Amino acid sequence: MATDMQTKPSGADKEYRPLPQGVGQLGPAWMAFVVASSLVLLIGLFAWWQELSEGMIVTGMRNVGTMGGASWGLYITMVVYFIGVSFAGITIAALIRLFRIDYLRPIARSAELLTVVALILGALAIVVDLGQPLRGIVNLFRYARPQSPFFGTFSLVIAGYLFASLVYLYLGGRRDAAILAKQRSGLQWFHRLWAAGYTDTPAEQERHRNASFWLALAIIPLLVIAHSTLGFVFGLQVGRPGWYGTLQAPAFLALAGVSGIGHVIVLAAVVRRIIDDQARIGSAIFAWLGKFLLLLLLVYLYFMTVELLTLLYATPEVEKELSDALLLGSYAWLYWGSVALLVLPAISLIWQALAHRWSVKWLVAAGIAVNLAAIGKRYLIVVPSQTHGTLLPYETGSYSPSWVEYATVLGMFALGALLVGLFYKVFPALPLSEEEEKEVVSHA
Amino acid sequence: MTKYAMIVDLNRCQGCRACMEACKIENNTSEAMFWMYVFRFEEGTYPDTRMSFLPRPCQHCDNAPCVKVCPTGSRFKREDGIVLTDPDRCIGCRYCELACPYGVNYFNWQKPQEAQYAEAIDWSDPDIQDATQGAVPPYKNPALDELWGTEQRRTAGGSHAKGVMEKCTFCVHRVEEGGQPACVETCPVTALRFGDVDDPDTPISRFIREHETWHLLEEAGTEPNVLYVGGKPPSHGYREVERPKARV
Repeated sequence: MATDMQTKPSGADKEYRPLPQGVGQLGPAWMAFVVASSLVLLIGLFAWWQELSEGMIVTGMRNVGTMGGASWGLYITMVVYFIGVSFAGITIAALIRLFRIDYLRPIARSAELLTVVALILGALAIVVDLGQPLRGIVNLFRYARPQSPFFGTFSLVIAGYLFASLVYLYLGGRRDAAILAKQRSGLQWFHRLWAAGYTDTPAEQERHRNASFWLALAIIPLLVIAHSTLGFVFGLQVGRPGWYGTLQAPAFLALAGVSGIGHVIVLAAVVRRIIDDQARIGSAIFAWLGKFLLLLLLVYLYFMTVELLTLLYATPEVEKELSDALLLGSYAWLYWGSVALLVLPAISLIWQALAHRWSVKWLVAAGIAVNLAAIGKRYLIVVPSQTHGTLLPYETGSYSPSWVEYATVLGMFALGALLVGLFYKVFPALPLSEEEEKEVVSHA
Repeated sequence: MTKYAMIVDLNRCQGCRACMEACKIENNTSEAMFWMYVFRFEEGTYPDTRMSFLPRPCQHCDNAPCVKVCPTGSRFKREDGIVLTDPDRCIGCRYCELACPYGVNYFNWQKPQEAQYAEAIDWSDPDIQDATQGAVPPYKNPALDELWGTEQRRTAGGSHAKGVMEKCTFCVHRVEEGGQPACVETCPVTALRFGDVDDPDTPISRFIREHETWHLLEEAGTEPNVLYVGGKPPSHGYREVERPKARV
């Protein structure tokens, strides 16, 4: 049953005209999507409620050492993964401004949106992982200690990175908001609010270009710092086998890029199929995304190979148990499965690059594959170092996520999908084309 | 300036685990939490096997990784060397646990249960009531909930609140009143010693001067304040035997 925001009765002569790109029009497919995501989200909230009321005993996590468990599990895996995904949007946005890659503009807004949503989910994943979530939100800022690598993953990411991404999304959309605000619609107040008095004079345009450029320049170091500190959370610890290492930070950055660009490809394909009726997301954009993904993928595979060779050639005594578990033991299926999900897309991308023909289907397949691999690799960094090869000879531990953890994580994915879906209904996914602009203005 | 340290004499330890018991009773810790833990190791192949024991309290490191990584300063080190947790500031991120190479941190996965170790005992039995005066374990040691030290925080670990970290406190509530940690006082063979190592005239300082001491996981660079005497560091050829029920 289609409902239509535009045609709500407010006087016979004041009938709303539809906005471009399906904004404000709630079709049956979209409603079904919202209902389905909301259901999954509700299940996730129920699971989290179980955790809040019973304690984290309902998760599969237990103490390392005598209790033989893993104290960080699927949640921290998802923290690392989500914050990794956030890499893409802001990178693309910055690259567009710094190198004036104008033909990428159609995906800029979706990419920025992805960054914002991924960062929100990353912060949420930290919150659900805390034993005292409410106190955590306050104390992580109130008693923030920059000496702790954890500072970078929460306080810095929220305060700096998320804020900068929101500003980007805001500045990039302001012109379109001003145009949309001219048309009478149920969302006019929202577009007016976003435009905030913007009238698209040359002086304003210049100011926006300048602000975006300098923000892009400032955000690149912020991005490197945020993703590197996430690597430092593990890379600076000598107390766990397999964590301490200089490669952790750069490898985290590279895999963040891989999963993020993979996500942008999937999102661009979805937008192109559902919203983009003028085929503005063309093959040039997909070719660029494919090449960028291939580049980052090769960098990451290089890091992975270097790490693997070092481990195989000169395994320190304390790491032997861990590397055996990873390469041959109980984690081997996940390890080699993830490697396959990175190598196969790389081969397919190389093939497409050599043939100069980029297939959206294969790109989407590669995007999904590298994201599954990214989750697998993050899990392998977080969990095995806790269950295997403890420095004191504790018994080998075990960890498998409980239904609560799975449900909460699925709920977070559903929330992310909902946020993206909602955004596309209140704001155009693509920058307004000249025809769309004329159409809107003619209704004003 | 006072500086506390503990000596673990492996030449004397017989692995009786009385210290673990004393710790649980003193600090009312929840099921499967061992602030003090005694490994019982076996090495070699039958019939040439050898048993050895290794008590493992918190090492109260001078270069404590847990203190370094704590994002809120809930885990801190006092001037006298004791590493403590403020349960009212802890957010339960469990980073300290993963930074620690010794595995001494315990997270409260749930609310402490009554009669956790003694489901089989009928606490309403008059004979038992006679001995326990009506208390049902874990009873609450009131000293644990008081504020201690110059920081005046609830650091004796009495909260056992759901969702926060806890670990060995060197029995700060006993030490502050001039006593010894419960494990030290209980040890039947004086394998554990505790005292001020800054003052050269204390018994523990004399003991250190007369014996060769070593640290657990020296290579981790944590500079522990628990010193071991005799025996040798555990290697990966060691097998742990006779483990208590340790998983909730």
